[in-house]
Amino acid sequence: MGGTTESSGKKQGKDSVRLPNSDRQANKDKPTRYRLCCDVSKIDCLELLPYAMRCYHLVAFVSYRGLAGIVFRCPTGSPSLTMDRDLLRQSVSYHGPNLFSLLKCEQSENPDFKYVAADLAKSVNQRDKEDDSPVVEQFIARKADLLFAPSWKFTAPEEDDWQEATQELYAVMPPLEQFMDVPYEERRDIFYRDVERGDMVIGRITSIRDFGFFVSLICTAGGLERDIEDLEITGLCPIRDVPSSGNHDDPLSYFQIGDLIRAGVKDIDRYHEKLTISLYSSSLAPNFNKIKLGVISKEELPLHYIRGEKVASDSSETYERLLESSLGFSNPSNVDYLLGNLGIIDTKSPSLMRGLQSKHFKEDDFASAIRKKQSASWALKCVKAGVDHFKSGRHVEAMNEYNKALEIDTNNVEALVARGALYATKGSLVKAISDFELALDTCPTHRNAKKYLCQTLVERGGQLEEEEKLVTAEGLYKKAIALDNTFQEAEDALRKLQALIQKTLKRKAEEAAREEKPQATETSAEKLRKILREEKRMKKKRRRSDSSSVTSSSSDSSSGDSILSASRKKSKKRKHKRRRSSHSSKKRKRRVSSRDDRTTEDKEEHYPVPANTSASFINHKGALTKLIDEEGGDEDRRRSYGKNRAEDSRGRSEDYRPSRSPEADSGKGRWQFSDRPEDPVLTGVNGREREAYRARRISDDSIRSHQEGSGSSRHAVSRMDFLSSAYSEHSLKLDGPMKDTSWQAASEERSEGGGRERKDRAREDCGSNRGADGKDRRLSSGDGNRASAGSQKKDLPANLLDIFNQIAEFEKERKQKK
Amino acid sequence: MEAARSAHVSGPREQRGEENADGKDSSNDAKTHFRVCRFIIETGVKLDMRSVPVATACALYHKFFQTASLQIFEPYLVAMSSIYLAGKVEEQHLRTRDIINVCHRYFHPGSDPLELDSKFWEMRDSIVQCELLILRQLNFQVSFEHPHKYLLHYLLSVRNLLNRHAWSRTPIAETAWALLKDSYHGPVCVHHRPQHLALAALYLAMHTYGVQVPRGEREWWQILCEDITRAQIEAIMTELLQLYDMEAKCT
Repeated sequence: MGGTTESSGKKQGKDSVRLPNSDRQANKDKPTRYRLCCDVSKIDCLELLPYAMRCYHLVAFVSYRGLAGIVFRCPTGSPSLTMDRDLLRQSVSYHGPNLFSLLKCEQSENPDFKYVAADLAKSVNQRDKEDDSPVVEQFIARKADLLFAPSWKFTAPEEDDWQEATQELYAVMPPLEQFMDVPYEERRDIFYRDVERGDMVIGRITSIRDFGFFVSLICTAGGLERDIEDLEITGLCPIRDVPSSGNHDDPLSYFQIGDLIRAGVKDIDRYHEKLTISLYSSSLAPNFNKIKLGVISKEELPLHYIRGEKVASDSSETYERLLESSLGFSNPSNVDYLLGNLGIIDTKSPSLMRGLQSKHFKEDDFASAIRKKQSASWALKCVKAGVDHFKSGRHVEAMNEYNKALEIDTNNVEALVARGALYATKGSLVKAISDFELALDTCPTHRNAKKYLCQTLVERGGQLEEEEKLVTAEGLYKKAIALDNTFQEAEDALRKLQALIQKTLKRKAEEAAREEKPQATETSAEKLRKILREEKRMKKKRRRSDSSSVTSSSSDSSSGDSILSASRKKSKKRKHKRRRSSHSSKKRKRRVSSRDDRTTEDKEEHYPVPANTSASFINHKGALTKLIDEEGGDEDRRRSYGKNRAEDSRGRSEDYRPSRSPEADSGKGRWQFSDRPEDPVLTGVNGREREAYRARRISDDSIRSHQEGSGSSRHAVSRMDFLSSAYSEHSLKLDGPMKDTSWQAASEERSEGGGRERKDRAREDCGSNRGADGKDRRLSSGDGNRASAGSQKKDLPANLLDIFNQIAEFEKERKQKK
Repeated sequence: MEAARSAHVSGPREQRGEENADGKDSSNDAKTHFRVCRFIIETGVKLDMRSVPVATACALYHKFFQTASLQIFEPYLVAMSSIYLAGKVEEQHLRTRDIINVCHRYFHPGSDPLELDSKFWEMRDSIVQCELLILRQLNFQVSFEHPHKYLLHYLLSVRNLLNRHAWSRTPIAETAWALLKDSYHGPVCVHHRPQHLALAALYLAMHTYGVQVPRGEREWWQILCEDITRAQIEAIMTELLQLYDMEAKCT
């Protein structure tokens, strides 16, 4: 496509086909090579040929099109050159010796130019362009190192799947030569020069023969857009390139003279100017693979052709007017689209100005880098302020600062560690762990993050152990050890836990075997009696002391039954554990928290071991659990406000873990435990479910008959509490109006807690030093207790009603089932 | 400021180099404008701005100083506000914080980022104030028709005229695009029609590589833009190329 192409295009086209005609040969290797020669000669750089032939070996397996593209870029890609020799030659031969001497002068310090100079001298012909301005030549010479650098040209964009645009993203213009009145002969020549195998053409059938049909091309589609309608270019579509459809013998019977046909160019005989086309889409270039070939309607003609027809019919239509009137031209994003189309990356596009070369831009000077740095230092400031707040005990302010810091700079390591520490102090171990982990993700060597994470993991492990989630706890210990294998606490904890797991499994198996018989022999009447007895006893106990009736009732039930005796033994062991885990927390407390140390004594004191509870009580609770499970979903949630509220307070008490009574834990843990379907005990329980249910109904009746208010309702709540533990996740999500309606239950739960705590305080007031927070909470819950003491009686019936409604509904359901 | 503006409302556009009787002054002004435009373009790169918003920023700047005096207005502040305003006009919204950061580092290379204190907010206020000033000075006519989209459509048309391999090895599009972007160093954009500018850039790019297209009864560039002559193209080309000489003088 150099200066001489235009004049010698035809001649060269003929030169090239003097080589053996490639396209007809079946040999897979040869055609490509010959084709390569054609193309090289076509572009008027025969000197390039040896070069290209060398490159050819490297890319021999690339498809024809890709090959051509690569071959011509090969000289430019040559590692030793920073100037595209081929391009430079083209320019020099166009501008004449003047440019060459200027180049020699301007680029004298460019070693690469010296390298090409000798070569260039040959190609300078003596033709001097008359219309050349010296300014332009000066410019070319000065900027030659940029203009002819291989890196100047963006690598060609990946050819996307070509598709007919459904809407006009940019102004689609008719081919320029249509306006220019390029002579017929020249247009015909350049068409045959430029058309390639795989191109898409559209034509009209002119005649149908036995061996195929002839098509007179009216336009091209896809990449090459040319004005060819009047060029009388005919293509033959042989019968073997017409897909036969179904059982019709003659595929040609589908076609009529005058049909519009879209086809792929299969073969070009440039010498004889003959075209073979195909209706198989495999004949198209790979990026057209979604195009359907064959007969098309007038509407499917490409837009540039339709526009071109309009121009042809209206001589007053100019390129400019058409451009400005087309819809795509006013599309504000056409610049971006076309830049993509032409392979230019806008924000990275280079400049010819020396001072704007990309090497002058440092990464640090970019807006994003500065902003990042600035945000980091700002965030750090916030963290500092937060730490100050934290040190003086203003935890809320500290949290606000940390959150602000993280808002400014997400993943700010210091802020994450500080917030994690605050969470840990507050007892939200899970949140603390996730913060520490995030911090370590960003900065795996952060010492404090690692240290705190280990400690928090162990503490959380202890918590999980109490909740009987032994396996999860084990995982946490292991994680802590993985983080820091010198962390003794974690190793101790893990060893003890593993021993515990072993024992538990063994015992459970034993218990399961032993349990079967007594259960079966028990009659429902006996169960009922036991339940009643128990109910009374519990009430008494509650009156006697208000230290956590919830838990005492649950541990009541644990004692007599065989399953529960197992869990009791377990909890004894747990007690042991707990003492140890509270040790670890003690250590931590000394460092970071203002928590008190009473956990251990608390637990021991609050571990009443009442005897003789019927197994049926358990079952009855199990049945209720199931009942609620079955009713499931929203209904369940709605009915169990009390439960939710209780859960809510449970969730809170998790935050203040040390002040929580451990029995609640053990009860909860057990329930989760026995809820597991693989539990051997439960499978036995299943059969007795109905019986248990009856028993429970009666017990509920007894509640009604007693009407003692606080006691029974509290019992209900306590039951709810157990149930709720299974729902810990989603019940925590509930808030807002739910909380309002569940006030009664909440107040009770709180009154229990408060009572418990009041007692604790009385016990502890003398010695222990407590954090401000713990005191606050205790005070408020004490208030709640006082307040609820008044409202309790009034509120109770509503709460009871709720439960009775549940039972009634369940009965109804059962009847229906029957 | 009012006085300054009325003094400088000198009517129609003036030819370059004739703005002041004193020739030395005008060449100094031209140098200053070149430097400030370089500042805008450089800042644009660091802010990841697309070419059209940068072009708008430069156009705003040139338009502003067509009627305003360098003696009265701080050009770099006007430039910063132009960038900010251009981001709004071309819908590539930029944050003032980023603009201030990048510019601060431009003036104090290697310095630490600014603290977000009262000094920072003062700077921000002055940018916003100056933005309003520009708007008033330009009578709120701040949207320009840029040559970019013309150039791209022309490129597409010319591509179809050429052999695809010749096109793929010749960086015509890149060069024309770079020439067009560089043209904003000077007030070319406010002196010429966008079509002419686009055509000149394309013409120069094709000329550089010695690329020729089939010749019909009319030249390709006559089709693309009816009202341009070869002399006009060469005049614009010369103007464009002078900017590269200017760079050598200014740096």
